[in-house]
Amino acid sequence: MSAVSEPEGIAAPVPAAAEGNTPSRWPLAQVGLWAVILFLCLTPFILIFAISFGHKIEGASWEWAFSLANYQRVFVGANWPEEVTALYLQKLYYSLYYAVIASVLAVITAFPFTYLVTGRSRRAQSAWLVFILSSLSLSEVFIVMGWDVLLSNRSGLPMVFKATGLTDWLKQVGWFDTLRDWGLANPRNVKFKTSVSATVLTMSYLVWPYAVILLYPPLSRLDRSMVEAARTMGAGPWTVLRTVILPTVRLPLMGSVLLLFVFLLGVYVAVTVFAEPAKQTMAVSVYEAVRGNTLNAPFGAAQAMVLLVTAGIFLALGQWMSRRAAS
Amino acid sequence: MILRVLSSLFLALSAVMLSLPIVVVSAAALNSGRTMFFPPREPTLERFYEFFVSEQVWVEALTNSMIIAFGSAALAVLIAWPIAYSLWARGSRASKVLAGLGSMPFALPPIVFGVGLGFLWSFLGGLGAIWSGVASHAALFLALPIVTISIGLQSIDRSHLDAAATMGATRAVTFRTVILPQTIPYTVSGFFFALVLSFNEFIVMFFVSASSYSTVTLQIFNSLRNGYTPTMAVAAVTFIVVSVVVFSAVARWGDLPRLMGAEPTKS
Amino acid sequence: MNGLRLGNVYKAFGSVRAVENINLDFAEGELTALLGPSGCGKTTLLRMIAGLEEPSGGAILLGGRDITALPAHKRRFGMVFQSFALFPHLTVRENVVYSLVISGTSKAEAMDTGERLLDLVQLKGYGDRRIGELSGGQRQRVAIARALAQEPEVFLLDEPMSALDAKLREDMQVELRLLQQRLGITTIVVTHDQREAMTMADKIVVMSQGRVEQVGPPQDIYHKPENAFVADFIGKANFFDGVVEQGGVRVGDTLLELDAAARFLSGSPVQVAFRPEMPHLDAEAVPGSRLQAKVTFVRDVGPVRDIHLQTEIGPMVVEYARGETDRSFAVGQETAVTLPPDRLLAFPRTGQAAA
Repeated sequence: MSAVSEPEGIAAPVPAAAEGNTPSRWPLAQVGLWAVILFLCLTPFILIFAISFGHKIEGASWEWAFSLANYQRVFVGANWPEEVTALYLQKLYYSLYYAVIASVLAVITAFPFTYLVTGRSRRAQSAWLVFILSSLSLSEVFIVMGWDVLLSNRSGLPMVFKATGLTDWLKQVGWFDTLRDWGLANPRNVKFKTSVSATVLTMSYLVWPYAVILLYPPLSRLDRSMVEAARTMGAGPWTVLRTVILPTVRLPLMGSVLLLFVFLLGVYVAVTVFAEPAKQTMAVSVYEAVRGNTLNAPFGAAQAMVLLVTAGIFLALGQWMSRRAAS
Repeated sequence: MILRVLSSLFLALSAVMLSLPIVVVSAAALNSGRTMFFPPREPTLERFYEFFVSEQVWVEALTNSMIIAFGSAALAVLIAWPIAYSLWARGSRASKVLAGLGSMPFALPPIVFGVGLGFLWSFLGGLGAIWSGVASHAALFLALPIVTISIGLQSIDRSHLDAAATMGATRAVTFRTVILPQTIPYTVSGFFFALVLSFNEFIVMFFVSASSYSTVTLQIFNSLRNGYTPTMAVAAVTFIVVSVVVFSAVARWGDLPRLMGAEPTKS
Repeated sequence: MNGLRLGNVYKAFGSVRAVENINLDFAEGELTALLGPSGCGKTTLLRMIAGLEEPSGGAILLGGRDITALPAHKRRFGMVFQSFALFPHLTVRENVVYSLVISGTSKAEAMDTGERLLDLVQLKGYGDRRIGELSGGQRQRVAIARALAQEPEVFLLDEPMSALDAKLREDMQVELRLLQQRLGITTIVVTHDQREAMTMADKIVVMSQGRVEQVGPPQDIYHKPENAFVADFIGKANFFDGVVEQGGVRVGDTLLELDAAARFLSGSPVQVAFRPEMPHLDAEAVPGSRLQAKVTFVRDVGPVRDIHLQTEIGPMVVEYARGETDRSFAVGQETAVTLPPDRLLAFPRTGQAAA
């Protein structure tokens, strides 16, 4: 038994005819590997799917079933068809809403940063990468903690605003009322916690290093001589950006937004701390259902499935886009 | 010329923004009281002592975090190797599917995977055990060593494998004496990425540990409910220091830009 | 016979035949060159001999033993690769003794052999160096030493000189040939450089598009090419299309005297070819067709002069070695070129232009 070379025989990675050792041992290892992967990486999702059809029984428990009640509840409310409640759809809406703004914001700001870094020397890039990777490894919990302190009404930025007289100035100029309209201020002072802005900002901050890492390969492979050529032909920096750089990295940019968007759909800690109770996401209600206050595992599973499918749709969209571009 | 100044300014600003919460948290760790004040009042290093030595609950959490982080990173690398290798050596549809499945948990919202894992372990009786925590993180972060090891394998010159064969090396010997030594930096960096991310991971750990043991992040989250204490900030500082050390090591002995996707330098 | 024999070997990739109908004998102790342009299949053939590719059909025999199904690591033919393929994570010595180490030879013996081989390729004292520190020529020597360490029965080299600069190449061709003769080892070299083949080989196998065009010693290949491809690939040649007529060949309005025309039926379409150093310019009393010519270009590269001419049968190049004649040739000069009938080659014309 010798592996037959593919048409590009000379380019085959492993010498095709070097099959001297026990081929019989391989299938067993292969089977083992598949078993491990299927078990660890696939069954959790299958379980969620299966459990989402179950229903809750007295106390904190639940049982297997084949009911669509949970899904019904997610999409149209438990009292359908008498009345349609979009409570959970609304949560889904907020999941999407926060995620899309935060991911776009992150990519837009990470793009110039990454572009500039990849223009530097190799050593400088190494240093920046260490910095980014270290910050990325800061857990969501810490980031939230940090921003919580920074934005806290008593000792954070609002305090700074008040102390420096910025608040009074804002009141004088009349912008204070605008801020109140945006939910960013109480009658007395600016308030940053529990606002859409704070949530989005924290979420954006959370994925910013990931955005840099995702943009790093395409931007470091960007041929700078293209930029130089454009400049010798009279293009100013803005034109160069618009006509040379952006078209080249359009796809990686969109791909990054997509990936980060999918990731942000599942964000929990930042939302619980910074978002108003009325504007929380589906991820939060999943948490509540499975381990939190409501304790309805099948219902939580159903919501998780909805999140999963939403994420899957967008991932598939990304794959389709990149395949289209490759052709 | 202006553009240069502006870009340097932008880079500096971004760096500051990125560091801001980190600085705040680190500084708050120096507080002597029980509240997180910024700037810190009566700065002291006592909190550090509490975290590492005296407060039992933190010491235990730290130990668990370390066990799970090292264990899962090692496990992830062990599982990732055959996947990456078969993807590179055979490139068959089956190996692509395998790699895709292995990377799936990382690509999808972690909360979903966490919930699923919670169900899985509760059926198998592993819920709340450290070993299931290790397995869970290994599965979650499998994608990382798969990617780094794949990059490493792609950098191997195919003619080296031919040369080894003409000198009498079977596939196994070639793997041991040529492939493995040349991909060490990639294996190590995959390990470190998984290690650091595991250390800081929260949501999956939450569902999988089911409150029967705590890691540092879990402990912090619990304390979140009760208000912050500066001791927690010590954990933050520790994490940052560990990450900086680890990634600097990778940068020092490996080619970090290459690892992150840049082209190899033309030497 | 302890040599290597290939019988009806072919290799197909899908529906494309990269190598076809190969029947070759490689005598023991001889150096054979596989020569041809890129894509002619010579490397594929070498890899099949090494066991790195499996033939789609045919047999490979070594000293009468059928080794076709034997995998590369059991054949253990020493091979030098185009890129040398030295292991960067091992020192020079560790590279050289690799085959010995993995086959279980004792460390002492391996080190001994290593030193001996490094000495043989004139790299004494380089044992502890790292590969990255070596020059191209040094790396080639290490690759050669490494391939020879396992005392192979056959020594294979895939374009061994292509990674070296021009000056070094010529020196190494001679050195490698001398080494091979000293060791008496059956050697096969793949190359696209005909000068290299003619310098080193006992026998040349000219290949084109997966097939063997001609096999023979270098001088035969050069002076007696069997077809237009070989004539054009080895050395230089002038080509003209014509038709056999009255014992000669009619090219345009001119009837050329040609000894080789006797082999053809009258009326056959042929290609006439001759090497540039064969015709005479402005010569009296030399037998052969005499054509009026005008000099269009002179290329004087030192040891030889190429004189480009426009003649009644078309453009051609005549080459003179320095010292062969004192005459000078200037552009625009009128002269006469004589083509010796015994130096003109004729090949059947298949309706396609030559090479």
